[in-house]
Amino acid sequence: MATSYLDLTNELLRELNEVPLAVGDFSTAVGIQAYVKDCVNRAYFDIINEEPQWPFLSAPLPANANYDPMLGNVSLQTSAGQRFYQLKVFSPNTTQDYSSIDWNTFYLTTEGVSGETAPYVSKNLRFTTTEEWKDYFRASENADNADQAVGGEPSRVIRSQDGRSFGLSPIPDKAYKVWFSAWVLPTKLTDYNDNVVFPEMYTSVLLAKARYYIWQFKDNPQSAAFALEDYKKGLDSMRSNLMEPVPSYFKDDRVRFI
Amino acid sequence: MAASQPFGFVCQGGLDTNTNQLAALGNAGVAMELVNFEVDSDSGYRRINGYTPYGTARPNGTNDIKGIMAYAGGVLVCSGANIMFTIDGATWVNVARDGQNNQTYNHTDFFNLSLEDRTGQGQTSFIYEEGAGAQGTVIILDGDNLPYILKIEGTGALTSRTFHGHTFSVDNNTAPSVGTLHETRLVAASGNTLYYSDALDPKTFSAGAAVQLADNIVGVKSFRDDVIIFCSNSIHKFVNMGAGVNNGEAVVPITQNVGCIASGSIQEIGGDLVFLSPDGIRTVAGTARIGDVELSSISRQVQPIFADIAKVINSYVVTSAVIRSKNQYRLFYSGLTDQIENSKGIIGTLTNDGFQWSETLGIQAHGFDSSFDTNGVEKYYHGDKDGYIYIHDEGSSFFENGTAFDIESKYVTPFYDFGDVGSLKTLHYVKVSVSPESTVTPTLRVQYDYNTPDTPQPPFYPLSSIPVPSVYGQALYDEGAFGGIGDPMVRQAVQGSGHTANFKISSSDQKGSYRINGLFIDYVPSGRR
Repeated sequence: MATSYLDLTNELLRELNEVPLAVGDFSTAVGIQAYVKDCVNRAYFDIINEEPQWPFLSAPLPANANYDPMLGNVSLQTSAGQRFYQLKVFSPNTTQDYSSIDWNTFYLTTEGVSGETAPYVSKNLRFTTTEEWKDYFRASENADNADQAVGGEPSRVIRSQDGRSFGLSPIPDKAYKVWFSAWVLPTKLTDYNDNVVFPEMYTSVLLAKARYYIWQFKDNPQSAAFALEDYKKGLDSMRSNLMEPVPSYFKDDRVRFI
Repeated sequence: MAASQPFGFVCQGGLDTNTNQLAALGNAGVAMELVNFEVDSDSGYRRINGYTPYGTARPNGTNDIKGIMAYAGGVLVCSGANIMFTIDGATWVNVARDGQNNQTYNHTDFFNLSLEDRTGQGQTSFIYEEGAGAQGTVIILDGDNLPYILKIEGTGALTSRTFHGHTFSVDNNTAPSVGTLHETRLVAASGNTLYYSDALDPKTFSAGAAVQLADNIVGVKSFRDDVIIFCSNSIHKFVNMGAGVNNGEAVVPITQNVGCIASGSIQEIGGDLVFLSPDGIRTVAGTARIGDVELSSISRQVQPIFADIAKVINSYVVTSAVIRSKNQYRLFYSGLTDQIENSKGIIGTLTNDGFQWSETLGIQAHGFDSSFDTNGVEKYYHGDKDGYIYIHDEGSSFFENGTAFDIESKYVTPFYDFGDVGSLKTLHYVKVSVSPESTVTPTLRVQYDYNTPDTPQPPFYPLSSIPVPSVYGQALYDEGAFGGIGDPMVRQAVQGSGHTANFKISSSDQKGSYRINGLFIDYVPSGRR
């Protein structure tokens, strides 16, 4: 078992008693070989779509030795008077944006901002729905905007309609650093040596889903059903192992006032 | 899970280039390509034998071989300006000598006679007259020189034998190119004239013992009571020869529509005369009804091949012979200077279902003969453009300029739809019934969907584990396989899927022969997309 696109494709082809692909033929595969390649990608994206916040999709952490991961994995600096900021800077369109944002992880600080010294601003930014912001904050903040952006220290974060940007409320009155957690979009497997982004042990889940599509193609619903069952079980294991690797207890923090 | 399905067939029917892939489905055992295989008269396709050099010396240097015949315990060859004879393949002597009629010579006297210059010999016709004596007489017609008669008597060393050889005249300086022995007369043809000798005297041609035809005579052959005259555009039979026109002697047309295009193609096999016509090999078959003659094509399955030959027939040297022990008619055609490895031929095997065909590649026979030696054993010889003489159908190699090269053989089946061209089939394994004659390693290839580039095609599979059968009393220690059977089924796992599939079994080596008896395929229907 391996994780390269070629290895995954050939594993399925061998299972189907089809002709495996060679490196030189990979890009020009035809017929069933091309279909199996397609199925690998479909299965790959199916797994991604099941959980956009798979740990292995987490945006790369800043290469800063002093970086504290609890701040988030993406940061950007605000400018005085600017409300909205593109979540992924320089991303030309949604195909290259982050796949998922945890809107409850936005954090505001002045640490790391040029010219700022301790004590730094340090606060969580509460996610505010567009509706709430419209009802309670939009009018006053637009007045600020019209008045050369007087603004203030942001305490809320809002989501733009296209989902590609976040807004701060109030409008920042100076430069801050905003941290949040983001997950990247995986790229489609294209070249023979492209690798899937998850650990090798989970490629069996991908193969099961690809097998499901292939058996459907081969008019074999029974085998397709078996493959789908395998996929579901494998996916449950992935979720259990990767998404919830925490102690299975909960606490009640309600306080009773007498 | 869909269950696997069986599909099997027996290799029979031979090469069929005349039908399309769908039509061929009706006869699964036929071959779309069958090169250097021969159809076994009892079914199966056997890789043909090679040939081996006859002796160590060429009869006349690099001169092309114009004709060859097994005779008097040796081999008689026409090459260059000579008629060469040998009994061992090592020492050749020129037996074209200026002897006297009815004069027999001992070895010394015969080879002291002056040489007969046979310059300009064309493809020669050897006419054998068994007659009196152990060795019989040979008459040689080459189309450029006077007929030559040769009789060698005795056995053993040449020095202990007696010889009789000289030219004779048919009609002044006429040089017949083809002839036959009919009853006790020599019949020889030159141009459009047919000459016949006196009875019991093939060297004496009386004045007026000739007939003229409108067409050029290509070949003549004695067939039952008549002489069949093959012209380029017509065929006749000469009946009651020598009886005189008042007593029924006549040339009776058989057909004015079909002729023979190569004298070297005329042979008698299976009670029929076969010859090469513009549309393939035909027969002149005498039927039970006296005087009735039936013309029929027997090579319809490979008509495109013969059509291609006919287009450029004048550029080919065509020779043929009958391999009696195999019920085979073999015809070879190649240009005067063609490379041996590119020289082609056709093998027709007479089976219960008529003639079945295959091709050869790598045999050049500018002279070709099958005849019986003094022990009554059938011998086959052929000679090539470089002057080499080979023992035909023996060994496991071909030769070019005395150097062995591989026999390239291939058998390609039609594309099978396994009964349903609409469904996709995944092939799991193929069982090939092989009868190996020694250690062989043919290769199997599966191709799908008419070899379209849109379908992945599997690689070649070498069939390297064919057990050679061990026969009690014959097998040698460490050579045969214990428990090996005569016709093992070799199982080969294969890959791929398609709506149709065909199989190619090929080899390119100098190993022994093998016979492919049939194939069994295990496949799984896998959808109708």
